[in-house]
Amino acid sequence: MKMAALCSEFGNLVDIKKQLISVISLCKERGLLHSAKWASELAFALDPLPKDELPPSPPFTEDDAQDLDALTLAKSYFDLKEYDRAAYFLKGCCSQKAYFLYMYSRYLSGEKKKDDETVDSLGPLEKGQVRNEALRELRVELSKKHTAGELDGFTLYLYGVVLRKLDLLKEAVDVFVEAVHALPLHWGAWLELSNLVTNIEMLKSLSLPDCWIKDFFMAHMYTELQMIKEALQKYQNLIEAGFSKSTYIISQIAVAYHNIRDIDQALALFNELREQDPYRIDNMDTFSNLLYVKSMKPELSYLAHNLVEIDKYRVETCCVIGNYYSLRSQHEKAALYFQRALKLNPRCLGAWTLMGHEYMEMKNTSAAIQAYRHAIEVNKRDYRAWYGLGQTYEILKMPFYCLYYYRKAHQLRPNDSRMLVALGESYEKLSQQVEAKKCYWRAYSVGDVEKMALLKLAKLHEQLNESDDAAQCYMLYIQDIFSCGEQLEHAEVSTALRYLGQYYFKSKLYDEASLCAQRCCDYNDAREEGKALLRQISQVRDQIETPSADLFAPLSNNNTPVRRVSPLNLISFTP
Amino acid sequence: MMTNGVVHANVFGIKDWVTPYKISVLALLYEMTASKITLPERRRLNKLILPLQQGPDLTLGQFLQTVEECCSQTAYAVKLRLHEMADGELKDMEYFFSTLPTPFTAFDSEAYKTSVVGLFMRHMLLAYNKLSFSQVYKLYRSLQHYYHNTVGDRADKEEMDIPLHESELRGPLSQKQAEYFLARQAYLLKNDENKALKPAALQEELNNMLKFNPDFAEAHYLNYLNSMRVQDIFLSAHSLLHYFDRLILSGNEGKSNGDEGYGRSLRYAALNLASLHCRFGHYRQADLALQEAIRIAQESNDHVCLQHCLSWLYTLEQMKGSDSTVLTEDSVKMAAHFCLPYLASLGIQSLVQQGATQGKTAHKLMDALKDTDILHWKHSLSELIEISLAQTTSIWRMYGKSTMALQQAQLLLNISSLEPVNFGVQQNNTEAFAVALCHLAELHAEQGLYSAVSEIIQHLKEQFPPHTQHAKLWMLCDLKIQFERHMNEGKYHLAEPLVTAISALNKTEGLYRKAQVLKALNRSTEAYRILQQLQVHCEKTKCTEMVIRVMLSTAELHWESSGFSTALPLLLQALALARQHHLQSLASEAILHLAFTQLMLGVPEQALTVLHEAIEPVLAHGAVMDKGRTMLLAARCQMAVAGFRPNRQGQAVLAVDTLNEAAAYFSKLNCKERLRDVHYLQAQLHHALGQTLQRNKSAMLFRLLDQELQSPAPPVSMQL
Repeated sequence: MKMAALCSEFGNLVDIKKQLISVISLCKERGLLHSAKWASELAFALDPLPKDELPPSPPFTEDDAQDLDALTLAKSYFDLKEYDRAAYFLKGCCSQKAYFLYMYSRYLSGEKKKDDETVDSLGPLEKGQVRNEALRELRVELSKKHTAGELDGFTLYLYGVVLRKLDLLKEAVDVFVEAVHALPLHWGAWLELSNLVTNIEMLKSLSLPDCWIKDFFMAHMYTELQMIKEALQKYQNLIEAGFSKSTYIISQIAVAYHNIRDIDQALALFNELREQDPYRIDNMDTFSNLLYVKSMKPELSYLAHNLVEIDKYRVETCCVIGNYYSLRSQHEKAALYFQRALKLNPRCLGAWTLMGHEYMEMKNTSAAIQAYRHAIEVNKRDYRAWYGLGQTYEILKMPFYCLYYYRKAHQLRPNDSRMLVALGESYEKLSQQVEAKKCYWRAYSVGDVEKMALLKLAKLHEQLNESDDAAQCYMLYIQDIFSCGEQLEHAEVSTALRYLGQYYFKSKLYDEASLCAQRCCDYNDAREEGKALLRQISQVRDQIETPSADLFAPLSNNNTPVRRVSPLNLISFTP
Repeated sequence: MMTNGVVHANVFGIKDWVTPYKISVLALLYEMTASKITLPERRRLNKLILPLQQGPDLTLGQFLQTVEECCSQTAYAVKLRLHEMADGELKDMEYFFSTLPTPFTAFDSEAYKTSVVGLFMRHMLLAYNKLSFSQVYKLYRSLQHYYHNTVGDRADKEEMDIPLHESELRGPLSQKQAEYFLARQAYLLKNDENKALKPAALQEELNNMLKFNPDFAEAHYLNYLNSMRVQDIFLSAHSLLHYFDRLILSGNEGKSNGDEGYGRSLRYAALNLASLHCRFGHYRQADLALQEAIRIAQESNDHVCLQHCLSWLYTLEQMKGSDSTVLTEDSVKMAAHFCLPYLASLGIQSLVQQGATQGKTAHKLMDALKDTDILHWKHSLSELIEISLAQTTSIWRMYGKSTMALQQAQLLLNISSLEPVNFGVQQNNTEAFAVALCHLAELHAEQGLYSAVSEIIQHLKEQFPPHTQHAKLWMLCDLKIQFERHMNEGKYHLAEPLVTAISALNKTEGLYRKAQVLKALNRSTEAYRILQQLQVHCEKTKCTEMVIRVMLSTAELHWESSGFSTALPLLLQALALARQHHLQSLASEAILHLAFTQLMLGVPEQALTVLHEAIEPVLAHGAVMDKGRTMLLAARCQMAVAGFRPNRQGQAVLAVDTLNEAAAYFSKLNCKERLRDVHYLQAQLHHALGQTLQRNKSAMLFRLLDQELQSPAPPVSMQL
């Protein structure tokens, strides 16, 4: 039902293409480069139009004709980043286009000066105080025009940006919503809006224009709000609707898969992306993270060298190189490159966290703590930084202290087993077994990525002499390991089998025990014990078979454990 | 700039920066050295210098006004100088800085390099000389802005009619100013919370500070203290951890062991976390954190930290309600060994407290306190002196010596603070003062001086507002006094709702009071059950005072079912316990009960001799109520004795006097029920003595009271 509606909405791809082409030229005229880039990428993914289908250029009004010369001059200054000069020549122009460029130049000039001034401010105390001085004047002028209703889609967008920079977030959201209503095709306005939406309730409460671009926005929003399933569904719909060639969508899906740690899917998509768009730098840091996790050294090396050739002074490039060095265990160099990334963009969140990881590797805990703290300052919701802080304190042997940080991380990612396992380990160190058990069980329930929780849980039960529960966990663990197919390095199937063998032997379930013992023999470290157990079993069986049968029956009945555990019986177990 | 791989925000290592405000202060200093000022004016200005240097940046208007209050002529000169700079060109400012007296050459002036003023000038000159070309220009622009904002025309302000964020209006503090602010507020939070900023205002200040300088770690610590004030565990834990994360950075230099380096702050971080959880009553968490701190401290051989941990350990044990005498003793020994007088005497005080509840002899306790006092005065540990005095007050009260307690409380309240900041101020709002004031209130209540009590409570309310840490002390005290008052006046329905409030603050006390109300309302079975429960609980927690009181109440319940002989062993046990622990007031109370039982059992002579033992301490130290009850009982004994004796006249006349005395006490407390009993007995006595006139008067008084009370009088015999 929904699909059908979507298809009909996207049915007319030609129309969409036309809209895109016209908005590209509008954005270009106004110097909105990123929006133009986004629209062009999308337009490129659609089939080319025949000549007579091309959209006509927008109507040329009297005002435009009057301002034409000034506008052309100013635009060339603007392109050369001489914003003040551009603004000077645009003063007094009355067409909408000229007015936008005039205001935009003033805004950018203020931003540029702000960046320059941070270098020589009057001391560290003024650091937070440096601000774009033009913002207030712009706000005053724009708000006057806004109340008079004289703003078009682009100027509304600019007004929103100004408000956001002044930290007037509520007003900014309203203005951005107005902007997307006035000009739905301007992606920049949507993107700014997405930065201001903090939760799903807020997203639902917004009244957005019914346009095909809204689907892109919603998908983007779902990814931001970590609602990956919904996001993937949205993107899938978009692909089916005809945007299958869009590199933007592919990259977004890959990032989404990265977020839910579906590494193989994400890798495949990134590889596809690089084939289609070999000189792309955006999102390549995410790609390198994936390669890093998979320890794919040659691929990472190739990627790093490739990116350096394209542009070595990009944040993404620096991050990729940092990851590359980190994988080669050259942590000093890795930290250096992350620092370079931070110099290029101090608000680059990933780099702070990654730098923290590097310092951890170098055992420089204090620097690691600082890096993580910076990451948290940039974004309080960065669970990796909280997790990293927890790890740092764990290394410093402060299990109680690190609990707070792990808890924070867990709060942010309630369904991530790694935090839960870390929490469980800390509790175990504090000999709080009850809490530890809860954590491990929960980690298993939410889908354990490292497959460690069950093993730890089983060992914990073993320590507490809860043999039934321990056996159950080992059983689940073995099932889990074999069902996931691939071979894990740290798998301790032999430990599990050994314990199970002993357990069955003690409960006099000799068939199961001998099965376990036989399987034990497949593993080097457990072979001897397996054989010993087999011998024991055959001995006991010989003893049992000699006495008469009627003596055996009551005996075995009595000795059967009261609660014989079936592997899938979890009722008694749910903590 | 990098050290240890860490990016430092403070590039030049300069803590002070030139701001327009600082330039105005410099101009003031310059004028003060340059021009002739009369002596009183100069004195006033001199007093102004330090606050101006340390305080936050003022606007020019405020600044000039402050100066003008001292010396209008100088203020005008300063304004003129600033005007020259602001309305002139950049070179005027440069000229100003070049004409400043250089602290290195001006030997005989106040601006010599070692003076406060000289230091400030040197800081400023250094900071100014390090400014880059564009920074100098920026400084000049901001000076112009600063000047014209106050002095210049305000016409251009019209267009800025859109309201700004409040934080935008406030300027940043310099490092020095911020440090001063934090130190001051932290001190006030510790010693005199009422003078500190309100929690919300302080929070805002701190947020502002952190906004401009996120690297200022101490602000996080103050944030932690501030959140503790409003019982916000979430924020306080967050700030505490943030502070230590930051601290670990600043104390780097690589040494992870020993006294220096970040290993040290790690230990104290864990210790602070323990204290945080302790404050919020999360004892298990506190225990875990403490164990962690101890382990790390042990690994790095930090005895001082270990000592702190140990003293926290016994505090925690005490709070959990288990016996920690051995731990405390160890702690004291170790503290003395490592020369930590504060911890040592804190430990001794804690030992004294435990000793007092466990019935150690009084002279031992007092000796110990005296010894620590010597230590305190030697090291000027004013905080501990206060605690010591408060403790002495409590101990005297526990022993039932109200006069001594009163004297100690007064001593504490009249002591002058030794702290340098609050020097000469008579009161801080520390826990010790709260305790002393509460005792004072209860002592006055015992004597029936309720107007004085309400004054004291009012004072407590002002000193310790309800949200603060020690407010629970006076809340409980206030409730107890009200409860006693209602019970004495026989208004049980008013006392009953107070029980719930008391239970919220102190469960044991609440249960006891509940039993009392139930007993008064004749719901004996319920009362008995509660008392039994309470006795078991108190014996477990070794709360002797409460055990004795519970025993006495149980005995009273036995009376109601005429089980006088069953009450006897209980009372004797209570008496023995009270004597063993030197609890004089409770011992007298037990004797009173004993005498009453004997009276009821028909041995009034015996009762009278027993009673004589208690009369003296009760009259000397007891509450008015106790005095009245004692006299009433004595009179009844005398009457009973008179019944048997041949020379009844003499005893009976004695009884009349005693009754009169009792009546005086009861009327002081407005205790009508007992007054009615007294009048009844009086009437009977007079009747027996044949004094018709007095008899009729007493009978009339009785009748009036009886009508007023409307409840049927309980049999006179049944109440003590």
